[in-house]
Amino acid sequence: MKDTVIETKNLLKEYRGRAAVKELNLNIGKGEIYGFLGPNGAGKTTTIRMLLGLIKPTSGRIEIFGQELRRNRLQILRKVGSLVESPSYYGHLSALDNLEAIRRILDVPKSRIAEVLDIVSLTGEEKRPVKGFSLGMKQRLGIAAALLGSPELLILDEPTNGLDPSGIQEIRSLIKRLPGEEGITVLVSSHLLSEIEQMAGTVGIIREGQMVYQDTIAHLQEQAAGNLSLAVSEPEAALMTAVRRGCGGELQEGRLILPRMSDARVSLLVKELVEDGHAIYRVEEHRQSLEEFFLQVVGGGAL
Amino acid sequence: MSGSRVWILLLLSPLISLPIGALSDMQEDKVITWQVLLSTMSAVHAMLFLPMLSGIFAALICRNEHSDGGWKQLLALPVTRTSVYFAKYVMIMLLLAAVQLLFLGGVLGIGLYRGAEGGIPWGLLLTSLFGGWFACLPLAALQLAVSQGWSSFGAPLAVNVCFTIPNMLIANSSTYGPYYPWVQPMLAMSPFGEERFGAFNLPLESLMMVVSGSLVLFLAGGLLFFWRKAV
Repeated sequence: MKDTVIETKNLLKEYRGRAAVKELNLNIGKGEIYGFLGPNGAGKTTTIRMLLGLIKPTSGRIEIFGQELRRNRLQILRKVGSLVESPSYYGHLSALDNLEAIRRILDVPKSRIAEVLDIVSLTGEEKRPVKGFSLGMKQRLGIAAALLGSPELLILDEPTNGLDPSGIQEIRSLIKRLPGEEGITVLVSSHLLSEIEQMAGTVGIIREGQMVYQDTIAHLQEQAAGNLSLAVSEPEAALMTAVRRGCGGELQEGRLILPRMSDARVSLLVKELVEDGHAIYRVEEHRQSLEEFFLQVVGGGAL
Repeated sequence: MSGSRVWILLLLSPLISLPIGALSDMQEDKVITWQVLLSTMSAVHAMLFLPMLSGIFAALICRNEHSDGGWKQLLALPVTRTSVYFAKYVMIMLLLAAVQLLFLGGVLGIGLYRGAEGGIPWGLLLTSLFGGWFACLPLAALQLAVSQGWSSFGAPLAVNVCFTIPNMLIANSSTYGPYYPWVQPMLAMSPFGEERFGAFNLPLESLMMVVSGSLVLFLAGGLLFFWRKAV
């Protein structure tokens, strides 16, 4: 396992006795893009606010960069850039002045402002008051502000919320570039699986304040891969053949259900079954989309 | 504060006090004294404007954070909540000090223009102005505490106005007057020695003791709330 950047242990946040986040154990490694996924109201923003020290957990531990958050908040936050929910800005100030206010707090060189404006392609718009910006531009300014301090960890809460498709695309490719170029670890939350799927390497799915799935996207895709269904004249005998060939499988409603396998293996198995004298009526592939799998996970389906 | 029109608020009270000072106590045979001039000019200023401005500055200084998620952004930066809170409080103190300085300019201008009696009584003027400023501090701390907690801009102001209006009555009570934050600036600013009634009868030192005590109380209370504020 690589260095852990964010680790939470049994994180709990209660509001008037109702748990918004409970027993949450996050584990995010260095250089990862971690997708934090869950339906609206599942506790994503609550968790992120706790990670930034904006609200206090009812109980549990948060460690960022291996340091306890409560005791080392300032040191940790110096290395963290964040964008929580809707973008924050001072509307009467220009983009430049907004970034300048943050720059003074972070104490980074002035040249960094031009750099981050360039990264989010806001160069040329920086002198206008932010209240006249479109939502996408405000969002990009928020990301610029998050990047200003050259953070090692970037926490972005629903960064593509309310953006048009081209804006979403732009932000997505921006986020994907970050770990490679600057070695940044990114925590990005979303309620859309397709979003996370296209950006993240690791995914954590949260439902009703609890983590229900935490693994790599590749593993998630594997789990959601689906199966092969064969309708044959003598299913029991066909199953024996399949098992003998090491394909595994089981019988469901008189059909032979096999796990997903390569095209070559499918053709070999079918050939053998035909040679054994089976009549094959149907060969079907059931692909469960990732979206279905996700809905199954967040809809309370057991895993 | 840049780009805002806070300077209008700074000028408002000193400007209004000008005609009051220019027209007050017009008697043909007598020249106005500095003390009378100060007490007439500071009446409205200290009774109404100082308490109101304390509240308005406190609300203004939290306004930009309440709108468009400023608190989230600010407090997720490597700053302590204590330093944010004190930075805001110091800004209010400076704004109030600026008002007092402008008001001093107004009093001096009118006094010299009307040829007030004797030389400029610097001791009297500065004690009064500093006292008024200092007496605003607990109120400003209280209003900052309310303003940071209340995301509405108008509500803390409405509350402030409601508590400012009874000043005229409460100033007459020597029991409650000194403890009422909204009337403290008026008590502290009025030139001592002339008006000896109600709460004005109190020595400056004991008023300042009460002011200092409530300043510590309100500032600590507000800070405690701000520490626990969920953003």
